[in-house]
Amino acid sequence: MSTLNLDVYMPVVILIALALLVAGGSLFLGSLIRPQHPNKLKDTAYECGEEPVGTAWANFNVRFYVIALIFIIFDVESALMFPVAAVFKRFNEIGLGGTLLMSILTFTLVLVAGIVYCWKKGDLDWVKSFNQTNQPTIARKE
Amino acid sequence: MFSNTLFLASALLTIGGAIAVVYSKNLMHACIYLLASLFGVAGLYACIGADFLAATQLVVYAGGVVILMLFAIMLTGGTSNKINRYGLEKIPAMGNKKTFFTAGFAALVSAMIIIKILLPVFSVNKVTTLSANESSVEKIGTLLATDHILAFEISSVLLLGALIGAAVISRPRKEIHD
Amino acid sequence: MNSTVVSYFSQSNELTSLIAGLSKLLGFDASSLVAFIIFAIFAGIIVAVMATIGGLGTYAERKISADLQARIGPNRVGPFGLLQFLADGVKMILKEDIITSNADKFTFNLAPVLCLVGVFATLAVVPYSSGFMLADLNVGIFYLVGMASLVGVGVFLGGYASNSKWSMLGGMRGASQIISYEIPATLSIIAIVLLAGGLSMKTLINGQGGAPQDWYLFHNPFAFMGFFVYFISALAETNRAPFDLPEAESELVSGYHTEYTGMKFGLFALAEYIEVFVVCGVAVALFLGGYKVPFDLGSGQILVEKLGLDGMIAQNIGQFLELGSFFTKTLILYYVVIWVRWTLPRLRVDQLMTLCWKYLTPIALFNLIGCAVWMYAFNGKSIFTLLFHAAASGGGHH
Repeated sequence: MSTLNLDVYMPVVILIALALLVAGGSLFLGSLIRPQHPNKLKDTAYECGEEPVGTAWANFNVRFYVIALIFIIFDVESALMFPVAAVFKRFNEIGLGGTLLMSILTFTLVLVAGIVYCWKKGDLDWVKSFNQTNQPTIARKE
Repeated sequence: MFSNTLFLASALLTIGGAIAVVYSKNLMHACIYLLASLFGVAGLYACIGADFLAATQLVVYAGGVVILMLFAIMLTGGTSNKINRYGLEKIPAMGNKKTFFTAGFAALVSAMIIIKILLPVFSVNKVTTLSANESSVEKIGTLLATDHILAFEISSVLLLGALIGAAVISRPRKEIHD
Repeated sequence: MNSTVVSYFSQSNELTSLIAGLSKLLGFDASSLVAFIIFAIFAGIIVAVMATIGGLGTYAERKISADLQARIGPNRVGPFGLLQFLADGVKMILKEDIITSNADKFTFNLAPVLCLVGVFATLAVVPYSSGFMLADLNVGIFYLVGMASLVGVGVFLGGYASNSKWSMLGGMRGASQIISYEIPATLSIIAIVLLAGGLSMKTLINGQGGAPQDWYLFHNPFAFMGFFVYFISALAETNRAPFDLPEAESELVSGYHTEYTGMKFGLFALAEYIEVFVVCGVAVALFLGGYKVPFDLGSGQILVEKLGLDGMIAQNIGQFLELGSFFTKTLILYYVVIWVRWTLPRLRVDQLMTLCWKYLTPIALFNLIGCAVWMYAFNGKSIFTLLFHAAASGGGHH
């Protein structure tokens, strides 16, 4: 470990600590000066002037989850692409650029196939386009 | 001195986060502690010089998988009631103090056994440390492009399979009405 | 070590003598301690400058929007209303901090802190100038992408913790917007990494020059398109209009920060404005030549030759020129961001998602493939080099 110099991560740690300090400090400072008069009406959630009805989350919106899944796949793909893209220039100068280009193209085109599949099957549509039975369910009153 | 501080902080964050995940009774809070634990793991990777791995950990895990888990918890209503419709606890208690103690002790013993077995392996093949300026990104990139090109391409096919599988599973089933 | 503030100052004789003196005094090698002190001082300076820029950003937004709407905007507090943001800050600290009775207290308090931590951590790798960078990580740009996605977690937790319908919906939409638009942004960044050959911010900027024809923006048509894809995606990632559906005033009251009062809301707003600055800074670093000054004035060499100044002073002047170049370009982009907000109407949520997945992502993938093919075919030369050097060497160019 003698040649490993971790001083380059110091600013990261310092800045995270500073962020916590700024947030905590300003909130603490505020708690000394600001008024604190809780009453029942102020503590209820805002629903445009009405009394809040029902629980806060009753819909089963699966499209959020599908988007998150597709995002994760592409995120991992980009994480794998980064090191290969970083050495592409060097490989190009040596002369091995063609083979690496083929690899990058194959990698990307496989994932393009994936997104084309999702597109065609309607997973990327935000508004559901099929029949009525698949409308989001309304909250059940217990 | 800073490397010691960084290691200590990352290790505390990892272990503390993990213990908090197991202890917490609220699923959302457990997810947040998991986020802290993954941050600690990224710090540990940075301590041993695997900077690209640390950044990947942050991007994929802290930025992606945690959001995915949070969405999944929201959509399956894991936080609303603690008792499901059969009267059973949705998130049963992990056990009492005896369970924790036994599990922790077993983990410690197995860790010691594994380290003892692997110690000769590590002392023979010394892990090469990077010099201060060198980047692990170039090494990983070169290896991915030359020696392990098949792994690189297979991983893209694996990701394609995961994408299609996820899309198929989460697609709502069309019900046929007469 | 990669060049950072510390290594820049280590070139001066004063610092080396200071380190030697301290080492003798304390008994152990004080270079690490001095490095820590310098980093802490500069991090403090950068946080203060960024907070001021964030605050002035709110002021600039109100003034520019007033200009676009043919009115005057704030002009009471201080000269031309410049101290308005301080007054706003004081107001926010003094407001009562209400936590609704249904809210999840731990998460409610954590969400703005998480947003702020994510944004401040990205400040470490933003390249202000070649000498004043805080941390020139070898994985600089990748680390920045990772930290920016932490803001998405913060937005979602803010929406969830409030336990109100508007906040929940706003939080879910906000988080899915942020994660969706990360993909075209990251793909555009990969296209530039292809051109530059490295992940650290220094490598990305050193591949460009000071004059506009050396920027990556004009390197090839794919990078040109990539700039717009990145700019739009980054705008959507920071929840700025026309993508500000999570905080849409007319639809969701205030989205994920409906129930936040006082300073916690102030922290969300501060994080958003600083994030806009960081995103503009990254766009400048990747596409617009970063801190590079035309005619290579930034390195100070010309000053040494022409004016015969001392090496260190010339370098300092060069650094200030580079700082000026970076901040000018970033603030111009910041103005464009504010301009776009008050010009375009808000997008619906399905239009938002369609734009990302059906337009920007395919375009970004096309740019990526195009840049890779260009690099291979023309050996990484920019379009200007090909045109003008081919003409200069006498070879016929079609």
